Amino acid sequence: IPLGVILGSLSGGKAATSPAENYHLARRRTLQVVVSALLTECGFDSAEKAAVETLTEMMQSYITEIGRCAKAYCEHTARSIPTLSDAVVTLIEMGFKADTLPLYAKRSQRMVITAPPVTNPPVTPKALSAGQKRTHPAHIPCHFPEFPDPHTYIKTPTFREPVSDYQVVREKAASQRRDVERALTRFMAKTGETESLFKDDITAFPLIAAQPSTIPYLSALLPSELELQTLEETDSSEQDDQTDGENGIQHISQNDDPGADKENAMLPLSAVVPAAKASEDNVIDNPYLRPVKKPKVRRKK
Amino acid sequence: MNRKKDKGFESPRPFKLTHQVVCINNINFQRKSVIGFVELTIFPTVVNLNRIKLNSKQCRIYRVRVNELEAPFIYNDPTLEVCHHESKQRNLNYFSSAYTAAVSAVDPDAGHGELVIKVPSELWKQGDDLKVLKVYIEFSLDQPKGGLHFVVPDVEGSMAERGAHVFSFGYQNSTRFWFPCVDSYSELCTWKLEFTVDASMVAVSCGDLVETIYTHDMRKKTFHYVLPIPTAAPNISLAVGPFEILVDPYMHEVTHFCLPQLLPLLKHSMSYLHEIFEFYEEILTCRYPYACFKTVFVDEAYVQVSSYASMSIFSTNLLHSAMIIDQTPLTRRCLAQALAQQFFGCFISRMSWADEWVLKGISGYIYGLYLKKTFGVNEYRHWIKEELDKIVEYELKMGGVLLHPTFSGGKEKDNPTPHLHFSIKHPHTLSWEYYKMFQCKAHLVMRLIENRISMEFMLQVFNKLLSLASTASSQKYQSHMWSQMLLSTHAFLKSISNVSGKDIGPLIKQWVDQSAVVKFFGSFAFNRKRNVLELEIRQDYTSSGTQKYVGPIKVTVQELDGSFNHTLQIEENSLKHDIPCHSKSRRNKKKKIPLMNGEEVDMDLSAMDADSPLLWIRIDPDMSILRKVEFEQADFMWQYQLRYERDVVAQEESISALEKFPTAASRLALTDILEQEQCFYKVRMQACFCLAKIANAMVSTWQGPPAMKSLFTRMFCCKSCPNIVKTNHFLSFQSYFLQKTMPVAMALLRDVQNLCPKDVLNFILDLIKYNDNRKNKFSDNYYRAELIEALTNSLTPAISITNEVRTVDNLNADVRLILEEITRFLNMEKLLPSFRNTITVSCLSAIRQLQKNGHIPSDASLFKSYAKYGHFVDVRVAALEALVDYTRVERSSVDLQWLLEMAQNDPAHYVRHKILGMLCKNPPFTKTTDPAPPFTKTTDSALCNEALVDQLWKLMNSGTSHDWRLRCDAVNLYYALFGLTRPSCLPLPELGLVLNLKEKKAVLNPTIKPELGVGPVMDTPASIGIHGVDPISLGVCGVGQPPLSLKRKAETPLGSPPEPGQILQQQEDDARGGRFKIRLKRRIGFNTMEDEDIDMETVHDSQAFIHHHLNLLERPSTPGKEPPSVEQSMLSMPATPVPSFPKETTPLSSKHGGEHGHHHHHHHHEHKKKKKKHKHKHKHKHKHESKDKEKDRERDNSQAYSNSPASGRSLRSPSLSD
Repeated sequence: IPLGVILGSLSGGKAATSPAENYHLARRRTLQVVVSALLTECGFDSAEKAAVETLTEMMQSYITEIGRCAKAYCEHTARSIPTLSDAVVTLIEMGFKADTLPLYAKRSQRMVITAPPVTNPPVTPKALSAGQKRTHPAHIPCHFPEFPDPHTYIKTPTFREPVSDYQVVREKAASQRRDVERALTRFMAKTGETESLFKDDITAFPLIAAQPSTIPYLSALLPSELELQTLEETDSSEQDDQTDGENGIQHISQNDDPGADKENAMLPLSAVVPAAKASEDNVIDNPYLRPVKKPKVRRKK
Repeated sequence: MNRKKDKGFESPRPFKLTHQVVCINNINFQRKSVIGFVELTIFPTVVNLNRIKLNSKQCRIYRVRVNELEAPFIYNDPTLEVCHHESKQRNLNYFSSAYTAAVSAVDPDAGHGELVIKVPSELWKQGDDLKVLKVYIEFSLDQPKGGLHFVVPDVEGSMAERGAHVFSFGYQNSTRFWFPCVDSYSELCTWKLEFTVDASMVAVSCGDLVETIYTHDMRKKTFHYVLPIPTAAPNISLAVGPFEILVDPYMHEVTHFCLPQLLPLLKHSMSYLHEIFEFYEEILTCRYPYACFKTVFVDEAYVQVSSYASMSIFSTNLLHSAMIIDQTPLTRRCLAQALAQQFFGCFISRMSWADEWVLKGISGYIYGLYLKKTFGVNEYRHWIKEELDKIVEYELKMGGVLLHPTFSGGKEKDNPTPHLHFSIKHPHTLSWEYYKMFQCKAHLVMRLIENRISMEFMLQVFNKLLSLASTASSQKYQSHMWSQMLLSTHAFLKSISNVSGKDIGPLIKQWVDQSAVVKFFGSFAFNRKRNVLELEIRQDYTSSGTQKYVGPIKVTVQELDGSFNHTLQIEENSLKHDIPCHSKSRRNKKKKIPLMNGEEVDMDLSAMDADSPLLWIRIDPDMSILRKVEFEQADFMWQYQLRYERDVVAQEESISALEKFPTAASRLALTDILEQEQCFYKVRMQACFCLAKIANAMVSTWQGPPAMKSLFTRMFCCKSCPNIVKTNHFLSFQSYFLQKTMPVAMALLRDVQNLCPKDVLNFILDLIKYNDNRKNKFSDNYYRAELIEALTNSLTPAISITNEVRTVDNLNADVRLILEEITRFLNMEKLLPSFRNTITVSCLSAIRQLQKNGHIPSDASLFKSYAKYGHFVDVRVAALEALVDYTRVERSSVDLQWLLEMAQNDPAHYVRHKILGMLCKNPPFTKTTDPAPPFTKTTDSALCNEALVDQLWKLMNSGTSHDWRLRCDAVNLYYALFGLTRPSCLPLPELGLVLNLKEKKAVLNPTIKPELGVGPVMDTPASIGIHGVDPISLGVCGVGQPPLSLKRKAETPLGSPPEPGQILQQQEDDARGGRFKIRLKRRIGFNTMEDEDIDMETVHDSQAFIHHHLNLLERPSTPGKEPPSVEQSMLSMPATPVPSFPKETTPLSSKHGGEHGHHHHHHHHEHKKKKKKHKHKHKHKHKHESKDKEKDRERDNSQAYSNSPASGRSLRSPSLSD
């Protein structure tokens, strides 16, 4: 692209759709013109579009970085608007010899670029204000930022507040449980065999049919899993702990297949008898815990 | 049987048993069979010991060897079939005497036994050096019906995985059911027990486990037990199963066993056993006598607790988790009972049946001491009162309970308990209920002795007995010393007199040697002038179950100035006693009133009689007499007694008395007690029910909310919302029990329409609705069950339109609510079962009540499905109870049959026992009251028919021979339904006029009115035998018809259910004959008829028996069988009185017929008693008919029996080769 085209295009260009976009495009175009001017200054006649774009980008980054740093220095010294010295320090910091700048500004061959067309910086659309903004409380100086709109910090519950009235809670819990139970039992009754108390309407009070179980005492004596949990929490099992381990181990060795016991079976002849003598110690010597002996080999006559 | 004046124990046997080996080398769970052998080491105590009698039932005996020599033996069990089928006798008197005779015939305490072994002549001919004999018996059991119980759940997996187990059980001495032994509590010996079981199983038995050894194939292991302490066979037991093992953490010599998966429950339930041990050892100052102790928890247990030497077998249903409140004290009590029996009952054994009371008494007494220590004095006194009330009620209803029966000279004539329908001569003839009451009375009498001689002396006596026994037990080789381990009444009394120096003779005479209780009526008047209390104490000693009391009685009078004890002497029937009062009636002074316990309280005395200083009076406050007191005092006195007397017994008495005084003051007194938290919770519970009764009586004047409602609200409901109950926590057990009870009592309230007030029903429904147990560490299953019971109590009969079928539509709205709750509860129980299924139990009874009150259609099918095998036992019992009730109300013969069927065939012995027990308590119909004129007896129930009579007769006669308890239950049921005499539904004998030879006159009374209370047991049936027979039985066992019976015999293929391994031999018969001969001689001319009739029955009994065995005898393979020639040689030997059956049909019969022809009354009557001509004719008329009938019946029987496993087995006589 001939650089002159770019240089001349400063004020032109297609109209953007929105003012904000317009503003940004105008800035960009100005930068491009600046880059083209610099290139022309350096003796280029034309440049690839991509190169121009790249240089524009670099330029923009550079300027942005200067601005950001300057702002940082300024805020560091508790000010809000950067001064010249901030910019100078920034430049120095970035490795630019700031004292060369006036000379460069006054160089002879520089091109004068027309000021970019005045475009208003885009106005950020005013957010919909909801409610009254809160004023600062007394202990906060008025220079501090204002409170945002109330909706940004006030929680707005999306559920109803739970009822905490004891009576209602109990009532609810009770009827809920009853409903669940009834539904469950009705379901069970519908899906399985039933017995009925009435001949005329066998669905009126369906009773789940009684099924004999093979080992009825288990379900009747053992607490259900539900109950068992409570039990474990409350049961103080200090006494069990002492013996449990031993019992468990011994028990396994007693009841398991004889193959596993063969190794043990070798021991008793030598080991068990002394163990019995030392029964005064804390070792439990109970005949039912002793390993099973191997049969003596009978000699056939 | 008598309290012997000589100290020593005289063995009824001609030998002393010193050691017995029991070896069971195979237990087959699949086939439910057991094979093993026993070896008894015996020392003859006579020269020429030629016969050894042992006990054995249902065992099949393969061989018997004495000192390595094959020995012939006879196996004869007369209790198998008590009366034989020929007999059409159907009256209970007859049965009872025959049963007693049968039990006596094999009674080990009299030296008898079912198994008679002939010592090979080589041995007894050896001469007079009394050598050791070793009796070796090989036996097996196949599907035992008694003695051993197999529980084999029908699921997949190996026997161990299925939780299959087997254990021994029995009522009293029942060890003979599972191995041959001397089944007597007085024959002690040391034991070696060996059990070979599957490697996955554990065999638990008596004594010390010496070692466990694998068999050679490593698939089984043998448990070797040694019991060095001399022990009686009935105290030997066995349990085999895949038990989980828990060594007691406190006492390592104590081991607990439970079925798989129950270990956590076992741990919890056994966690306090050591405390019981410590307690007994401390009070008895004696170590636990055995080296180890084992507890085994089994399913389908016969009884909850049974104690054997060094081990106890419990019902697995006693196990519980820490969440269960109600079961905890019950289980502890069972453990304490078991342990008490270890000392007295197992270690120290009884000398004879008559001494049983001492052992039961002592063990019950020390158990009571444990209760007192653990549960407190209130609980103890409450228990004593409960037991006293029980025994009093039983004795007044059934007649006396005799602790120490004496049978002078062994004559059955002197029946000490003619009022009972069973004999108390043997434990095995006792009704179970009687035996329970017997135990109850025994411990109460022990307490009376304690009152007399002080507890200190009492414990010294126990200690002395135990020390004597343990000294004796350590005498390893001096078996004559072992009798020190036997306790007799005499020895016990002697020890008491030695230790205490006191004479307790009168006490023993009154309560031990005599039956019955005392019944007092008391009333009083206050004589103001003399300031004297005139007390009148009358006695009723004429009605059944009562006796006269003479002696001291304590009366406590609470006056304004304090409480004073007076000891009065009761001397006559009605006697006035003047008791001077200490206080004047001065009530103006505000003064505290001192109580018996030293406490001083303020009382509002405005209710009192202004003229009298008496607050209340108590007769025999310490319960030191076995009595019932009906005392009359004013209502305000009862109220004072309830409020201020600190003794729980007094409080309970006053509560029961207040029922009769429905006044506002009573109401207030009861309410105050209910609220008083220091008051014993059982008193408060009782007050609830009394309050309900009073409220009902005051229904028209009752002010305020329904009784107890506001009280319950205040105690258990939320402060903010009084209609909602607090969430459960049950931290205070007293409150918990009260919370359970109050709704149940409230539901009994009725309004003027006699309905449960709407308020109350809604209140209970709310309790159910708001019940919340989520935060509770205890289970609320018992509480919920009680709430259902409350609903049940609220039911009242439906307004019935006649013959209306109950339908859903016409269901009462309230009942609908109730029914909905019950349905939901019952259904939830299927998904989340409660402990012991208490909720199902309550629901079933509720449904039955709904049916009974006509709200829902009466129907038995639901109960039947719950009664089936496979449900938890409590559920089954509840369902059966409903069924029994249904049967009675609906008079359903189908259901009665169903019940009887189950009573005969159910695998669980307890359930069978329970069915008969419940049928007795709530019989489908009752005998018409008392033997009024016999012809007016009518029973309107259609259930009462001949078939039922026959069925029940068969049940008690032969169907229950494997279980003494069940047989006695059947007898009880028969008694409850038909009474002692011939059931009225049976056809009347055609004979109108009968000769009563005894009274030497003709009586118009064929339907038997036995001389109740006059004739002793053996006497009554005798006379009945003559005039109490119907035409058919006349043909059979009436007066003389030997040709018929002989002929029939020849045709009889089978008469009695054969016992496996039974071998018939004949010398028994001879012995029996001999005995009767002697007896007859002794009594001849005095009461000929009696003996003859008895004999007549035994003759007939024996006939079928012999016939059956004649068939068996043809089989050559049994080693015990001896050729008849040998028998003959035995016959000539001096016969010890062996009970058995006279034979008639063997080739020898002619010879013997001559010998004891005179006891064959048939001949007798025919030839000598011409008076009975009419009978005779009659007999001929019916001869053919009856003969045919007999044949038919026998055919039926034979079929029945050949189908039964028993006969199948015995026919396949075992061969000897092993």
